[in-house]
Amino acid sequence: MIIMQIEKSQIKNYIPQREPFIMIDEMTNITEKGFESQFNILSDNLFLDNNILSESSLVENIAQTCAAGFGYLNSLQSEGEPRLGFIGAVTKLTNFKYAELNQLINTKVEILNTFENIHLIQGTCFLGEEKLVECQMKIVLA
Amino acid sequence: MNRDQIIETTKRFLSEEFEVSTEKIIPENNLQQTLELDSLDYVDLVVVIEENFGFKPTAEDFKTVITFEDFYQLVEQKLAELA
Repeated sequence: MIIMQIEKSQIKNYIPQREPFIMIDEMTNITEKGFESQFNILSDNLFLDNNILSESSLVENIAQTCAAGFGYLNSLQSEGEPRLGFIGAVTKLTNFKYAELNQLINTKVEILNTFENIHLIQGTCFLGEEKLVECQMKIVLA
Repeated sequence: MNRDQIIETTKRFLSEEFEVSTEKIIPENNLQQTLELDSLDYVDLVVVIEENFGFKPTAEDFKTVITFEDFYQLVEQKLAELA
């Protein structure tokens, strides 16, 4: 089992997004079974509307958590740029509560299954112990 | 699990997962066309096969599966290997 953390300064090495579209601050846990990230919602976030972060931003946060996690795991197996991941599908999406300015979001991703280059994951964003958004995604690695 | 049980189990989970009538799940029909599978759907197929039959098929396995009859043969072979 691989256990790894990625600090904010290194996140760009593993995901294709760049500021102001980066929606994760750091990876707090990476294993072969899943990933965890943290994201602090600051006032300069483009996706804030009346200090409320849109639901789609949290879905993007889950996707970027996947991208960084898979990117890191991929970097262990091959040199060069990490493989890009694309969202193939989002299903079973539930929005429990909106996130707000200055809140710290913890995101957990569980890898449910893998077939070839397609990963089925369960992603959940938490505010403390409280669920904000959960969904399943199919992530396709290019 | 015998052939009849494999067929009944397959009909049940495929009709639920892919919303297709069990009447279309017959041995000579093309599996991919009947279930209207695209490449992303195969991961869903792998999940339900693993849940119901206890093995995880590979891409190599699917190369031999054209019809439902081929699928039943694959399941029989994999279950025999597990026994």
